[in-house]
Amino acid sequence: MILIGESIHVIAKDVSNAIKERNSKVIQELAIAQAKAGADYIDLNVGPARKDPEEMMQWIVDVVQEVVDLPLSIDTMNPVAMEAGLKACKKRPLLNSASNKTESKQQMLPLAQKYDCDVVISVIADYGMPPDLDARVSSILEVVEHANNLGIPNERIWVDPIILPISTAGEGQRHAEADLEFIKILPDLLPDVKSTVGLSNVSNGIPKELRPILNQTFLVMLQRNGLYSAIADVLDEDLVRLARGEMEDITNLIYRVMDGEEIDFSSLSDKERDFVKTAEVIMGKTLYSDAWLEV
Amino acid sequence: MEYKAPIESYPGVVREVTIGKGNKAIKLGGENILPLHFFDEGSRPNAPKFALELWDMKPEDWPEWGIEPFKDVISDPVAWGKKCESYGADAVCLRLVSTDPSVKDSPPEQAAEIAKKVAEAINVPLIVYGSADADKDAQVLPKVASSCSGMNLLLGPVLKENYEVVAKVALDHGHTLIAQTPVDINLLKELNVRLSKFCPLDRVVIDPLSSALGYGFEYTFSLMERVKQAGVIFKDEMTQMPIIADLGTECWKTREAKESKEQALIWEGVTALSFLLAGANVLVLRHPDTLNLIREITGGNGK
Repeated sequence: MILIGESIHVIAKDVSNAIKERNSKVIQELAIAQAKAGADYIDLNVGPARKDPEEMMQWIVDVVQEVVDLPLSIDTMNPVAMEAGLKACKKRPLLNSASNKTESKQQMLPLAQKYDCDVVISVIADYGMPPDLDARVSSILEVVEHANNLGIPNERIWVDPIILPISTAGEGQRHAEADLEFIKILPDLLPDVKSTVGLSNVSNGIPKELRPILNQTFLVMLQRNGLYSAIADVLDEDLVRLARGEMEDITNLIYRVMDGEEIDFSSLSDKERDFVKTAEVIMGKTLYSDAWLEV
Repeated sequence: MEYKAPIESYPGVVREVTIGKGNKAIKLGGENILPLHFFDEGSRPNAPKFALELWDMKPEDWPEWGIEPFKDVISDPVAWGKKCESYGADAVCLRLVSTDPSVKDSPPEQAAEIAKKVAEAINVPLIVYGSADADKDAQVLPKVASSCSGMNLLLGPVLKENYEVVAKVALDHGHTLIAQTPVDINLLKELNVRLSKFCPLDRVVIDPLSSALGYGFEYTFSLMERVKQAGVIFKDEMTQMPIIADLGTECWKTREAKESKEQALIWEGVTALSFLLAGANVLVLRHPDTLNLIREITGGNGK
């Protein structure tokens, strides 16, 4: 599993301030911490980058490359900033991201071809988020064909089904099930493409202390279905260990839930029970609520 | 080949909840079929019940056709409650509007006194709704619970913000709770899980927050459907409670209801019928003509 460290993200207040003030220390510390924790890529999410996009992107790429030797994932909606970032990277970067939106096909995808980089392509279409599995499949087939025509081979494409929060008014669980299925059938749809997800979004909006177990469990489930990489919180130690296959007991337990087994709780520790409950929620076996571990 | 319609049977049962005491008591819920699926295996032992609402103060903004059936009792909650009963309501719903800090901020003691008098005067169960101001209700509802001790009111709304204060006192005094969450099945389940830590689940009725036709109605409708499906098909214990559709006030707030009597009655009637289809077990209405209309359409028993 390739892990892309998500912590340099403009939504984080200290990161957005650091970018504004060109404070390299904050950014470099986050890069180093994530590299130490086991990140394979460092994501640089600078948001829309309205002000001085080229200079800012050049700066952040440079300060991160000064301290870590990892490839970077350049994460912005601004094509000008994107190009500046891709240009500045020493190692083959990941363009994060393009989509099936017309604008993205016109402005982002050609950059992936021009700079011969890897590219995340999401299922988002001009009308927004495709509502179900079928719509996601047809959207991704459309945009990948377009990318192929531009000369971008499947091996360079990392498909993103777009994970949504599981807690959204009863709809989130349906999406989680669709994500699992999407990742499972992807090799048949598009041989040789890779895949990635914005993992932490599954736990967006729920109490902070409950986020890790949801992220961790979902990662194990997606990984079993063939997920290639995840943009994730690599500072979560257990998450990295699970991704590296170092917590076999938990992984096997989650697999048993996926296989539909009725798990006998009496033989389990509290922690194991929590993983079972979480997997059951993600499978849609039980209705989600923020109190899902208390039932 | 002859066609045989499939017959489903489901593992889950909606809990049977009793409100009111002694010969005033009525039962809600108890079904192990989806709403109106009488063709499947199972039954619905208790037909939906209908309450008429009254306010603890003279309403200022009701159209005259809303006041008309109650005009001689509109300033007297006790007489108003009896009037509701005389129109054939299965229960009476007292709404403590005046306690709302943005209305009159009337004191908890006054609300408790009115609730007690109304409850004693009628021969059907009493439903009591506070103002839904979480802080004020935390003062008002416990007082109501104690003044009506042992009468098994259906009392609420119990909210995420005040359930610890309200629910315990209400249970100690032998009442049943209305657990209310804002049109979200995940929040609804969460509140029920929290209540389940100290509250028998056959003392809870779900209020998913109803809205009027054209004013967000469909959100509540699908939510009620999902609650029933989760409870009956998927046996989710935390959603196996009867549902209250508190719709009268919402319908009479609409522009349409204020324009003409005909529109008001149709609005309330169609909204109520639709919530019956979604599986509501007890419906709070405002106008006796709506009650009669629904009784006529459903053959008197909600079928």
